[in-house]
Amino acid sequence: MNQPILQVDDLHVEFRTDDGIVRAVNGVSFDVQAGETLGIVGESGSGKSVTNLAIMGLVPTPPGKITQGSVRLAGQELLNNSNKEWSRVRGNDIGMIFQDPMTALNPFLTIAEQLTEVSKLHMGHNNAEAIEHAVEMLDKVGIASAQKRVFDYPHEFSGGMRQRVMIAMALTCQPDVLIADEPTTALDVTIQAQILELMQQLQEDQGTAIIFITHDLGVVASICHRVLVMYGGRVVEEATTGDLYAEPRHPYTLGLLHSALRWDQETEGELRAIEGQPPDMANLPPGCAFYDRCEFGQPACTEQVPPLVQLQQEQRRHACLVNIHAPQEGSE
Amino acid sequence: MITPTEAPASQPLLSVRDLKVHFHSNSGWTGKLTRVVRAVDGISFDVKAGETLGLVGESGCGKSTTARGILNLIPASGGTVELEGQPISGLSDKQMLPYRQDLQMIFQDPFASLNPRMTVGTIVREPMDIFNLHDAADRRLHVMRLLDMVGLDPRFLNRYPHEFSGGQRQRIGIARALAVQPKLIVCDEAVSALDVSIQAQVINLLRDLQQRLGVAYIFIAHDLAVVRHIADRVGVMYLGRIVELADVDELYDNPQHPYTQALLSAAPVPDPTSESNRQRIVLQGEVPSPDRVYPGCPFADRCPQVEDRCHQQAPQLIGESHQTACLLVNEPVGDEPQ
Repeated sequence: MNQPILQVDDLHVEFRTDDGIVRAVNGVSFDVQAGETLGIVGESGSGKSVTNLAIMGLVPTPPGKITQGSVRLAGQELLNNSNKEWSRVRGNDIGMIFQDPMTALNPFLTIAEQLTEVSKLHMGHNNAEAIEHAVEMLDKVGIASAQKRVFDYPHEFSGGMRQRVMIAMALTCQPDVLIADEPTTALDVTIQAQILELMQQLQEDQGTAIIFITHDLGVVASICHRVLVMYGGRVVEEATTGDLYAEPRHPYTLGLLHSALRWDQETEGELRAIEGQPPDMANLPPGCAFYDRCEFGQPACTEQVPPLVQLQQEQRRHACLVNIHAPQEGSE
Repeated sequence: MITPTEAPASQPLLSVRDLKVHFHSNSGWTGKLTRVVRAVDGISFDVKAGETLGLVGESGCGKSTTARGILNLIPASGGTVELEGQPISGLSDKQMLPYRQDLQMIFQDPFASLNPRMTVGTIVREPMDIFNLHDAADRRLHVMRLLDMVGLDPRFLNRYPHEFSGGQRQRIGIARALAVQPKLIVCDEAVSALDVSIQAQVINLLRDLQQRLGVAYIFIAHDLAVVRHIADRVGVMYLGRIVELADVDELYDNPQHPYTQALLSAAPVPDPTSESNRQRIVLQGEVPSPDRVYPGCPFADRCPQVEDRCHQQAPQLIGESHQTACLLVNEPVGDEPQ
C-alpha cells in the first residue's frame, strides 16, 4: 500500500473548563489514503469534530490544547507548524466544509470576494484570474449562471446553494484532503442527495481524500469506503463500510446500527435503543467508557481501557475485550 | 371520476378542512407591493383518537406552519379546524384556552423550549396550575408521577434544565405536555435534535405513552425513517399542500406521487448493500418559492414524469385510503372516464 496521505497518531486533545479538564480526544490514531472517503461517526461529544479541528490546527488555544500525538500530511509533521505555516496548509492542502452553510460564509462579502481570497493567497492569482477561477469552480459545483452569481451575497443563495459555494471554496486549490464536518446535516434529503453526488464526482475527478464526519449511518453507507467509530474521545472500531455493517465487533457500533432507523423496512415492537447517556468527558472512567451502557460488560472492562487491536490478517480494528458474536455464532 | 372521501362515520378527534395560512409582506420602495407567501395552501385531513398522523416534507413545505395553524398560534387565512366537532379556528386566545388542555405541543429544540430559570418541577406543574387540575397539594405528587412515566428520576424535581442532556430535556417537554392529560399532542421535529441512540429511546417512550394513555399525535418530521416507525398514517407535503396521504406501510412500500418517490429514493439507508444497488431519482433544482400562484401542479417544474397538462390543471388529493394529488395517478392517459 502507498504511503497514506494523512496519518494521525496517538492524538490527545484536552480543554480546561470550569468543570475540570475535559479530555475530548484520548489517543486517536488513523490513516487516510489518497482518493478514499473515511467516515467518522459518533455521538455529540465523542470527539469527532475536535479530532478534525486538531488536524486543521484549529483547536482554540486556550482553553484547548493538543497534549500529545502527531498529524502528518504526506509524511510532513503538522503539529509543530507556526501560524504562518498553518495558513499555507489550510485551504491549500487541506480543505474544509462545515455543517452550517449560513454561518460559514461572511454575509458582508460577495461570493467573489470570498472565493478569490483563497486562490489569490495560495495560487498567486491576480484579481481577474482569481475571478475567472472562481466562476469555473462555481460552474463545476453546479451553480447556474455562475458568471453573474459570483457577484451575489450569501443571503441571495439557498442553503443547498451555499453548501455548493462552500464546496467550491474548499476545492479551489485542489487540496489533498477535504474535511467535511456534517456537510449535509442541515440540508433536505433531496438536496443532500445532490451534494453527496457532487462530492463523489469531484473526488473521482481530483482524487481528493475525504474525511466525512457525520452521525447519519445512512449517509456513511452510501458514500464512505471505510468507517471510524468514536466513543468517549477514542476510536472504538475501524473497518471497511461493508465489514462494519455486516459484522460490528464493538457493542457500541452494534447498538448504533440497531438504533439507526430504515425507512424501507418496518420494525416489529420496540426499537432497540442504547440505554443511558453518553459519558461525562470531564470524568471518564478508568475502564471502558461504554461500560455503563453496555449489555456485554464484564468485570475486566472496568479495570483498564480496552486497547484498539487488529486481529491477524484483518484490515479492521476494535477496542473491546468481549467477543460479542460468541454466544450466537461461536468464536472465529 | 372518483369522489373525494367522505368524512368517516365515527367522529374524528381533529378535523382539518382546506386550511390555509398565508403571510403578507410589503416590499418595494413604497412598501405597496404585497407579496403573499402561501405557506399552507388548502390542506385537509383527520386525526382519529389515539392514532399518529405523520407529516413529512422538506423545509419550507409548510409542515410547521400547519401545526401552528391548527393550534391557533398563528391565524389561519381560510378553512376550518374542528376538535371533536367544535370549530376552533379563529378563536381568540381567551376562547381558545379551554381547548388548549386537549391540544398540547412538543417542540424541536430541547434547549430553547424550557425556561432556564424554572425548576423541572415548576415547568411540569405550571400547566396544572393554569388549568386548575388536581388539588394544589397533590400536584407535586402528580409531577413526580409524570417524571417517572417519562423515565426521569422523580427526585430531579428541583433541578434546572441545564443540568440535563438533550434527550432528558425532551423527556421533560413530554412530561409538561402530558401534565394536562391532552387528547392530541403535536410533535414538531421532536426528536430531530437528538443523537441516534437517544432518538430511539424517545420514540419508544412516545409509542409506549400512546398505548398507555391513548393520546393521539401529529408527528411532524423531515426524517422519513423516524416517521415510518411512529406513524399510523403519513401525509407528504410539498409547497403548502398534501400531495399524498396513506397508511404508513402502504405509503413507504407503494408510493404513488412522483415527489414521494423522489423523496424516498433520496433518503439513504444504513445498509451498504442496498445503498450500492439503489436507483436514485435525483431531483433537479430546489423547492421553489411559495409566493407564486400555480395554475397547475406545484411540483410540475421539478417532476421527472411531467406532462403538458400538469402545468395547466391542478391535481386534487383524491382516493380512498391511499390519496394522491397527481394527474398521472388519478387520471392516467387513455383511461376512460367512469
